[in-house]
Amino acid sequence: MLAANAKEIWNNLRGVICVYKPAGIKCNQIRKSIINAVCSGLDKLEVRPPGEYIQIEGDTTKELNIVKKVNLADDVLVVGPRYQFGDVSCSWSSYLGPNTSGVLLLGINDGTKAAKIIRENRLARTYKVRGILGEATDTYFKDGKVVERSTFRFIKLSHIEKLLTSMQAAHQKKMFELCGVDNQSQAAYELAIRGLIRPASSKIPVLYGIKCVNFQSPQFTIEVQCINEYEMYLKTLIHDIGVQLHSTAYCSEIQCIRHGHFTIDDALLRKHWTLENIYTNMEEMNKKLLLHEDMLRQNSPILQ
Amino acid sequence: MCIRKQFFNQIRGYAVKRKYPVNPEDAKKLPVFGYGISKASYNRIFVWGCRETGALAVPQKKEEEKFHKISPIKYPKRLFFAENHEVTNVACGFGFSIFSVNPNNDNSRLYGTGINSDSQIGYHAIRENKPLEIIFSPVAIHLPLKEKKTRINKIAAGRAHTLVLTSEGLFTFGNNAYGQCGRMIITDEDYSNSHYVHKISNVDDTIKDVECGQDHSLILTESGQVYSCGWGADGQTGLGHFNSESRFTRVLGDIANENIVKVSGRSDFVLAINDKGEVFGWGNTEYAQLDTPNDLQQVCNATFIEKCKGLGKIVDIAAGGSFCLILNEDGQVFSWGYGLLGAGPKVQYSKKPVLLPEILFGKNEFQTDSKVIKIKAGIGHAAAISNYGNLYMWGRNRSGCLGMGHDKDQPFPFRVSVSGLVKDVSCGFDHSIALCKPFI
Repeated sequence: MLAANAKEIWNNLRGVICVYKPAGIKCNQIRKSIINAVCSGLDKLEVRPPGEYIQIEGDTTKELNIVKKVNLADDVLVVGPRYQFGDVSCSWSSYLGPNTSGVLLLGINDGTKAAKIIRENRLARTYKVRGILGEATDTYFKDGKVVERSTFRFIKLSHIEKLLTSMQAAHQKKMFELCGVDNQSQAAYELAIRGLIRPASSKIPVLYGIKCVNFQSPQFTIEVQCINEYEMYLKTLIHDIGVQLHSTAYCSEIQCIRHGHFTIDDALLRKHWTLENIYTNMEEMNKKLLLHEDMLRQNSPILQ
Repeated sequence: MCIRKQFFNQIRGYAVKRKYPVNPEDAKKLPVFGYGISKASYNRIFVWGCRETGALAVPQKKEEEKFHKISPIKYPKRLFFAENHEVTNVACGFGFSIFSVNPNNDNSRLYGTGINSDSQIGYHAIRENKPLEIIFSPVAIHLPLKEKKTRINKIAAGRAHTLVLTSEGLFTFGNNAYGQCGRMIITDEDYSNSHYVHKISNVDDTIKDVECGQDHSLILTESGQVYSCGWGADGQTGLGHFNSESRFTRVLGDIANENIVKVSGRSDFVLAINDKGEVFGWGNTEYAQLDTPNDLQQVCNATFIEKCKGLGKIVDIAAGGSFCLILNEDGQVFSWGYGLLGAGPKVQYSKKPVLLPEILFGKNEFQTDSKVIKIKAGIGHAAAISNYGNLYMWGRNRSGCLGMGHDKDQPFPFRVSVSGLVKDVSCGFDHSIALCKPFI
């Protein structure tokens, strides 16, 4: 249970929270809802009472009286709620596109710094992306207009698996090329034998693992571990898989199931976006950040 | 910001502007395209490396003819010839390539392209007595076959000679200056004008596999015997002498009583393994391929290689120009000798087999069961194929024969971007050819 005093909570309200972003809502709307939830939660608690108003009254030719009064200009009814939208700062550590659902990390107040560091450290994210074979749309997503239809019954799970392992190896090669080390040097060799590394650039998407986790023709679901990806990239990935399989495909769902060490189990559902839940979630996430130091402080280029 | 915007614009548009909402009924009016799956016998062929020799069968561009400047192909390029013909085997010689195909309507089974200075890809002339010494597109090679059903099982190509193993028997043609075609050496023979295809008849056993060194030939029989002929100045024939041999003669020495399952030799050193996974070698050992007493540099008898003991059961071997590669049944690759062995730029010479880290062959957290199943060697470069159909290459990058997109050397195994599941690869002197299956 929370303390009854809003100030006490406000002082401790600094850190990272992990929320579940529903598909179809933009990140900024979620940010606004979280800030509103925090503000309204705090305002319901015991907030600072209005300040004192010192009034000097009486006849000026005589001795004056000093009277302490409640400062009506500082009343909640006059100045509005004690905690307002502009007071809370909140920012995400990775932007998820409007059609993506799943784990979203938000930094609140001082936690925005941690969110920024997490963003700059480029932790790997895991997505589950579902594709539908047989049709191609102009947006590469289910909301688009169908532009081509093709046969797909001949595609078996083994075909998808063969293609995905090859794609994975190709991306892992790209990962090494993007780290910016001269391939002829000893440093490159030493880096190569250490395994998967994070890219130097923050712009070019790198996939580490792609595998098919579910296949019920025409639906297939792939699990992707990646860095620097964006929503359109994942949609086009499904499109490319469809073309490589001698068919067409469009993306129907994108779900982020993991970001660094934050998983979907930590994520706060939309119905639980209240101050109390946000506060307890923040405490848990801050503990997690302390437990896995590599999320904030990275000393090696190896993927963690 | 501007670059980012440009980047997205080039690849894919971001949003679609719509005047009217999408009508789902419209999709039902569209035709259904059927792209289908590839034929089981279809193979994709990728070529890369030096193009001046014509070995890649990639036609010249117009501007290149003008300036006599033919640039090498540094990335794997899909061979158009393989789309019209079902290629079953490929072999890279020194500046020429041989393809065996399933017979089409013209009934040719063998095609060749590249340097033809010694009729190593058969006699081809537009005018009489003016044989073409360089050919830029695959041409059919005539074999004196008796039956129409004859299949080509194996092909191998050396510096300037070719071995073709068919179900009818073994045929050889090309340069025979050292007896590498298994026939009598004729002094001052005009090879470029030669129409002759020789059929080997003196080997009684059924031939299982053929292999060409630089100027010598090796054959392996069903019962595990090795026969050789050709140049023996470095002992590469393994026949106990250093002379040229013009008849296929059985190699004895330490392998006399062994059941040999594979031989490999690209240059002047030969490796062989028996069914127990033991390694033997003979030939030029100036780069410590063999440990010899008093630093003997030529070994003309098949010798058991002691240093490969304890590395597990060896399942594949590859002998390059100055280095040796072995693969054990756990998928670990070891190399020794001189050159870029694959263990970084610092390891240029090793007498003992060096383990190449498995992580370089794609084994990591995301692909824990990836392992190497096949190794091949060229003169200065080497290749490994994993069970997931990925091709890894390293070594000297002569004319971009590693397919990395540049012509710098590669000191450790690095994946080659090939669009297909690699089944086999052949490494020549300065070019490479991969035989791949499509994904679907």
